[in-house]
Amino acid sequence: MNPYAWRSLLQRTRHLWRSSLQLRTVAITVFFSTIAVTIISGYMSISIATNLYEARKAQAIAEARQATSSAQELFDSSVATNGTIDVEAVSQTARTTIRSVASSPGETQFAILRTPGQSTAVVMTQSSTAGIDESVISGALREQVSTDDGRLYSQAVSLQNGADVDPGLVVGGVFEVPTAGQYELYLIYNVRDVQQTLDFVQQTLILGSLLLVGTIGLVTFLVTRLAIGPVRVAAETAEKLAAGELDRRIPEKGEDVIATLARSFNHMADSMQRQITQLAALSRVQQRFVSDVSHELRTPLTTIRLAGDVLYEQREQFSPTAARTTELLHTQVDRFEVMLADLLEMSRYDAGAVELDTEPTNLVRLIEQSIEAIHPLAEQRGCELRLVAPGGHFEADVEARRIRRIVQNLLGNAVDHSEGLPVVVYVDSDSDAVAIAVRDYGVGMDAAQLERVFDRFWRADPSRQRSTGGTGLGLAIATEDAQLHGGLIDVWSVPGEGSCFRVTLPRRRGSSVAHSPIDLPPIDLPPIDPQPIDVLPLDHVAGERDA
Amino acid sequence: MTARILVVDDDAAIAEMIGIVLQGEGFEPHISYDGAAALEAFDTVKPDLVLLDLMLPGIDGIAVCARIRETSGTPIIMLTAKGDSTDVVRGLESGADDYVVKPFNPKELVARIRTRLRPATPSSSERLTIGDLVIDVTGHEVTRGETSISLTPLEFDLLLALAEKPSQVFTREMLLETVWGYQYKADTRLVNVHVQRLRAKVELDAETPRIVMTVRGVGYRAGAAR
Repeated sequence: MNPYAWRSLLQRTRHLWRSSLQLRTVAITVFFSTIAVTIISGYMSISIATNLYEARKAQAIAEARQATSSAQELFDSSVATNGTIDVEAVSQTARTTIRSVASSPGETQFAILRTPGQSTAVVMTQSSTAGIDESVISGALREQVSTDDGRLYSQAVSLQNGADVDPGLVVGGVFEVPTAGQYELYLIYNVRDVQQTLDFVQQTLILGSLLLVGTIGLVTFLVTRLAIGPVRVAAETAEKLAAGELDRRIPEKGEDVIATLARSFNHMADSMQRQITQLAALSRVQQRFVSDVSHELRTPLTTIRLAGDVLYEQREQFSPTAARTTELLHTQVDRFEVMLADLLEMSRYDAGAVELDTEPTNLVRLIEQSIEAIHPLAEQRGCELRLVAPGGHFEADVEARRIRRIVQNLLGNAVDHSEGLPVVVYVDSDSDAVAIAVRDYGVGMDAAQLERVFDRFWRADPSRQRSTGGTGLGLAIATEDAQLHGGLIDVWSVPGEGSCFRVTLPRRRGSSVAHSPIDLPPIDLPPIDPQPIDVLPLDHVAGERDA
Repeated sequence: MTARILVVDDDAAIAEMIGIVLQGEGFEPHISYDGAAALEAFDTVKPDLVLLDLMLPGIDGIAVCARIRETSGTPIIMLTAKGDSTDVVRGLESGADDYVVKPFNPKELVARIRTRLRPATPSSSERLTIGDLVIDVTGHEVTRGETSISLTPLEFDLLLALAEKPSQVFTREMLLETVWGYQYKADTRLVNVHVQRLRAKVELDAETPRIVMTVRGVGYRAGAAR
């Protein structure tokens, strides 16, 4: 398998691991139960082995003790009255005795060895069972045994048994042969049977452990499946609910906790659906009401408008008081009309009855026209309007009417709050978005005002003299207009330093904006100078407008 | 001769007020308050132009508009309280030439009325051809071979505007200015709807227009003369 295949396998596994709670639960359970079972069976195996071995050893030692004492007795009782003994003959008898004491005669071998370093009158021939490998009796053991402190010593050894090696046990003790000195008796046990028992026990333990772990895994799988299944159904249902399928429910089965979950969930969904439906109905009624009221107001307003205009045209024939009254009527009807139009536009947005009707529009040209339109007002306020357009000289896919409305609103606000200082309009674009920023150096806003600036019917300073009508809906509508284009409006402002409103729109219809081509506030600001500036410190100034 | 204008609106106050404004401008207004009365008045008064509110009790404005169009090409301007686009489109499709959204000011209304009443732009030539049609400019008549095609004054103006400059591609905005007299940008649906109505009358196959050609992304131009 190539490295990529490995990597993709790894990735798939990781993904599966992260996405499946069931797999995770089963894997963790199996992992920990394997550790626990290994420890338990390991401990069992060791303690069984120890017990078996110790029991065998105790048996061997007991046998060896008996064999040694039998031999000793035999030699002691064979001394003739004259004090002589035929050691070779007795040795023969002793071998038979020893062989009869050993539990499994076929398996047990023995050796009678003379303790080295003695000089006695008689020397008894050393003897052992046929085929014995005396090398298994180590020097260290012989040294321990030969001290003759009345104890028996044992040592575990390996016995060569043809091609196999069997575990063995050597037990040694001493006895005194009259006239011939100290001899050592070694019994060599083959403990292959113990090893076999142990092997069998271990096999059983391993098999049992494997079965146990497998069973635990299976049970966990089934239990989690049982528990997770309803949770998964609940999650899927919740997802569908969130996506707007308000009549989705979880099937309720039984009386257990899962059924309780399902019932609670369904209750929640029921009440949510009820509330949403109610709210939607309420909102519809309210929107309907606003829309109806606005429509109903239009016919009488038209009559008033017509009447006002007829009077206004004839005002020169009236007395000064009546003429002024007519003028007031005329301007206020205009204002009323603008408000009603804004209200209607807002109610259309609220009703979701707004559709974007885009056409290729040159934003810079559109802004130039808007600046042109606001110019008389700006002149009246002694405020200079400038356009800085490093970008945006292309046909953007927007609805010109709405963008013009946004720009005119922002320009009107900026001029109203400019305090006679210049207002700069920036236009720039990048590969994804186009941005318009309107910057003034006027009064600015504090944090609390900034928070409410886009709210409906909110005004920064109600006492401020306004010249652009100002329904209080302008920025709310502008926000909706920008959002309809997939864009947004944000604002920067510091009291005393002025404000900057920035509109960012996606270049292509249907996409959204992640980053604006203009920073807030625009960094390449021209110096604030009450004197008219002849040359702006910028390379690409599209036009400074005077006319 | 003063132009007679039939004002149809169920709201007595606004109807009377419009009457006052029109009288002030030298027109001769006649007022009807519902659809049935409007149709009756249309026959007796024989107005030069109809101002028609869309929301009427009984026979509604759309139906009145369609009934008038069955027999006459008299200019109709809709008065609509709704800026609602579907209403505007339905009105235009049923034959209205133009529309004014309430609340309007008197100047706007009078300007719209005057545009629709003004005699067709004096033309340099008396006979023009567009596609396989012949336009008799002075006689206000359009013929295909021997058959005469009946067009409303607005449709005639639209066709004439295209035929006079056969090499020119007209944007919707240009047509709005030439035919409807809008100086500023207005609703381009006016053009779309009336081009459709015109095509229905003059094209042999409305699916493949030969008289009023669409120039994709720009607007319209006249079909080649034969």
